[in-house]
Order: sequence, then structure tokens, then C-alpha cells
Amino acid sequence: MNAIQTYQLSRSFGNLKAVDRLTLEVPRGTVFGFLGPNGSGKTTTIRLLLGLLDADAGRAEVLGYDTREQADQVRSRSGALLEHHGLYERLSAAENLDYYGRIWHMSKTERESRIRELLEPLGLYERRDEPIGRWSRGMKQKLAVARTLIHHPELVFLDEPTAGLDPVASAALREDLAMLAEQEGVTIFLTTHNLAEAEKLCNQVAVINHGQLLVLGSPADLRSRTSAPRLYVSGQGFTSQMIESLRANTLVSSMRQSNGQVVMDLTDLSRSHEIVTQLIGAGVQIDEVRKEKADLEDVFLRLVEEEDRGEG
Amino acid sequence: MIADILTVTWKELREMLMFGDSRGRSKLSLVVLLLIFGVVIPLQNGREWVASPISAMVWAWMPYMWVYSVVADSFAGERERHTLEALLATRLSDRAILFGKLLAALAYGFTLTWAILLVSLVTVNVAVRGAGLLLFSPLMTAGALVFSILISGLSASIGVVVSLRAGSVRQAQQWMSFGMLILFLPLMLIQFIPKALLESVGNALTNADPQQIAVWAAVALLVIQSVLLTVAMRLFQRSKLILD
Repeated sequence: MNAIQTYQLSRSFGNLKAVDRLTLEVPRGTVFGFLGPNGSGKTTTIRLLLGLLDADAGRAEVLGYDTREQADQVRSRSGALLEHHGLYERLSAAENLDYYGRIWHMSKTERESRIRELLEPLGLYERRDEPIGRWSRGMKQKLAVARTLIHHPELVFLDEPTAGLDPVASAALREDLAMLAEQEGVTIFLTTHNLAEAEKLCNQVAVINHGQLLVLGSPADLRSRTSAPRLYVSGQGFTSQMIESLRANTLVSSMRQSNGQVVMDLTDLSRSHEIVTQLIGAGVQIDEVRKEKADLEDVFLRLVEEEDRGEG
Repeated sequence: MIADILTVTWKELREMLMFGDSRGRSKLSLVVLLLIFGVVIPLQNGREWVASPISAMVWAWMPYMWVYSVVADSFAGERERHTLEALLATRLSDRAILFGKLLAALAYGFTLTWAILLVSLVTVNVAVRGAGLLLFSPLMTAGALVFSILISGLSASIGVVVSLRAGSVRQAQQWMSFGMLILFLPLMLIQFIPKALLESVGNALTNADPQQIAVWAAVALLVIQSVLLTVAMRLFQRSKLILD
């Protein structure tokens, strides 16, 4: 059974289609990355899935519950870290978690042991009685993640959890998220525009732009499905005639040249030696040849650019 | 539902009592208020404090002011500090959140009023010795009890409605101040009422049964609160609050 299933889910604000006929499935137990540039509809999608907003058309089921008719059931079984951490800055860390534990009807003993269980691995337990107002943003984000897990939810929504954090704090939070996801065994629906984050954390990713789903699959699938393997050749002696002959080669799907380097997307990376032979034959003095598959960032940028050009 | 309401109330009261309102009024300001209304004014009034109906009028209006100072924060403050959406994303029902906040404001006004009332009794009994134990009459005690709840409730209801609509705590407080002006407007307009009319109203009030007036006032307050609660329940829509 899927944790999340949407069918042609749509929501507009005036003329703006924030979510446009979104159909997707998120299997239980996965860390699902929902990628998209700012304003692409990620936050609206989370709000629709939590039943905080009503869809204009289509429908969604979360943990088997209809988000329009049974939103309270969805929220009972989920945790959410939304755009803002939403912590009470005048209260201590323990009081923040305790309040949310009370909301989920946990007993005092359960709340106390759960607070310890969550804060110790995050390195925050010793500081649990401090008001959090003066804590760093990274510490507050960690605490907010702990808050989403306090009641052992089946599904957790994390809306750009590392946004606004410095690289060190982001990396630390990512590690904590990976650890908690494994330890808690929950389904995580993570929105981000940080591709490295998605690549490190997610089993499945979807790319959304202008509210529309562009692609869905594992990071590896996406790379193989949407990007050609790439060949980087550095050296001297590239002539315009040679560049034209390379462009004419059916093995080369696209290419660009800059600063003594030629970058080619190949249809078959295993035949890259043919290109190298062609270049040597044409008199190029090769310094370096490097083959690699495009990373998720290349895939993402390409998809978004194509969609923006209306080719998607 | 009751447990959920009490959970919200617990958190709200904790913030109100520990940290005061959003303008930073803290426990110290509560102590100052306690000294003014629990010690200074009762000392000035002496034994009259427990006998005069004026004190009952004072206690009937006080809760409005206590509640007014904190209730503007209820929704506008949560929205301003970006804590509202996280709360709305929990399992709590709309009514649990709404009534939890209402109950907290009401309890704050009621508790503060009665704390001051009790301190004032201690003050007058210490100050006026040899007159036996000075206490409010049972009728006045019952009136203070009922009206401190009703006026706290009225202020809490107005505050929650205002706070739901206001864009910021400051705006909510401005609207609440304006509301207070409207409440006192009849007193300011008294000078413009023809003397004959005033006299006839005065006579009617003097001849009327005070208990009957109190009952009618209580009924009127309950009706107003019911209307305000209906408005608050209509205004409390998760999607609207999030998009606001």
C-alpha cells in the first residue's frame, strides 16, 4: 500500500496554478524527495496532502485516508515540519516537545522517555531545559525534526528542512535525518531544491515545476532516463572544422566548447574511444579525458529548463 | 475533545503567566497590578471596599482589561511568530484549538481578578482592625463570581475574533482598544442625554430590583458571547488561516 497517492490533484490561487494535475505515488517506508525550484508548488502540495488546503480538482489519499474527507485522520498519523520551524521560542526544548506529546495524548512517562530518545542522538538532551529563543537556527531545525517524530508518526512531511542553514549545519541535519529515518522506519516526504540533499537521502524523487510533475523515479533512474552520459576532453588544437565534424557524429547528441575543454553528451558512453580516436586523428593534443554520468543537479536543471521552454 | 482543549489551555496559560503578553509584560507587571488593585486602592477605600457596590463594578470591569492585554496574542501572535501552521498541522480539531485559547484567556482574567479580590480582602482586614472579619456580602460575592467569568468570557471572545482577523498582534491590540472605547462610549455620551430622560432612567434603576438587573445583564452578556463564538467558529477555517 502506498503512503501517498494523488490523482490529478490541482489547486490554483487566482490565475496561478500552484499544483496542476499532480498524479504520484509514494510507497510506504521510502524517503521521497519532492524537488522543484522556489514557487514550483512543493509547499502547496504538502498543505493539500495534510488537508490544510482543499484541492480545486482531483483527490489525494494519505495513509489510505482521503485528504478532503478524513484530514483529521491524516494529521493524526503524520508529523510535519513546514516552511517555518513553528517552535515556541519562549518555551524550553523539553516544553516544546512536551506540548506536542500532550497533543497526541502521550502519558507523562511516555513523553519523558520519548524526549530523551529523540534529543540524545541529536545532542540536544543536555540543553533540553533552555528556552530555545537564543539557539542557532540549526539547533532549532533539529528540535523541530524531533517534534515531528514525537508521536511515532507513520509519515513525516519535511518542507525544505535545511533551508537557511549554513553548509555545516545542513550536513549535520542531513545526517540526523538519515539516522532518524532509519531508526524510526517512517515514510518521509521531503521537499527541497537542494539536489545533493535529495541524492543523499532519498530512495525516490519527483521533480515538479509550475505545479506539474516532470519526472518520477529513483535518483539513479532519473539520471539514466533523462541525461546522456557525458565525455569531457581537455587539450589543445581544437579547430572549428573539427568541432563541426564532431557535431556531425551520430554518437554525439550535443556538445559545447569552452576554455580548451569540449564537453559532449554521448548516446553510448562505451564507444567513447571512437571520439578520442577521431580527435587524435585530427591532431588534437589531449591532456585529459574524463567520462561521467550527469548528476541529479544536471538532470534537474535540464528538466526545469526544458519545461520552461515548453518542451516538457 | 475536553483533553485537547485543556492541552491548548495549559500551553497558553503557561506562556501568559510565565512570560506575560507579547509586549513583554512579565510577572513583575502582574505583581505591580496586584499591589495597586489588591493593596493601594483597598487601603484608600477602607471598610467601604467590601460594602460599596462600586467595588463590584470595578471587579466586573477588571477582567476585561486583564484578558484584553493577552488575548490579542492568541492567533495573531501565533501567526506572527510562525507557530500557527505547525499547530494547525496537528491532530487537534478546530474547536479544540479555538476553545482552548478562549478558555485560557477566560481563566487568566478570572484567576487574576480573584487573586486580586482575595489580596484586597486580606489588605482591608489588616488595615481596618476591630471591626470583625470584613467580607463581601454573599450577593456581591456571587455577582463578582458570575460577572468575572462573563466579562472575562466577553473579552476573550472579542479578543479571539479580533485576533483571528488581525494581521498582527499590534493591529489586534489597536482593534481591542477601539472596542474598549466603544464599550465606554455610553458613559461619555451621558452628558448629552436630556436631564429629564436621565432622571427617569435613574429612577427606574433605583426602583428596580438589583438582582433582576444583574440577571438581565448576565443574559445579555451570554447572548453577545454566543454571537461572538458563532462568528469565531465561522472565522476559524484552517485553509483561510494558513493563506492569511
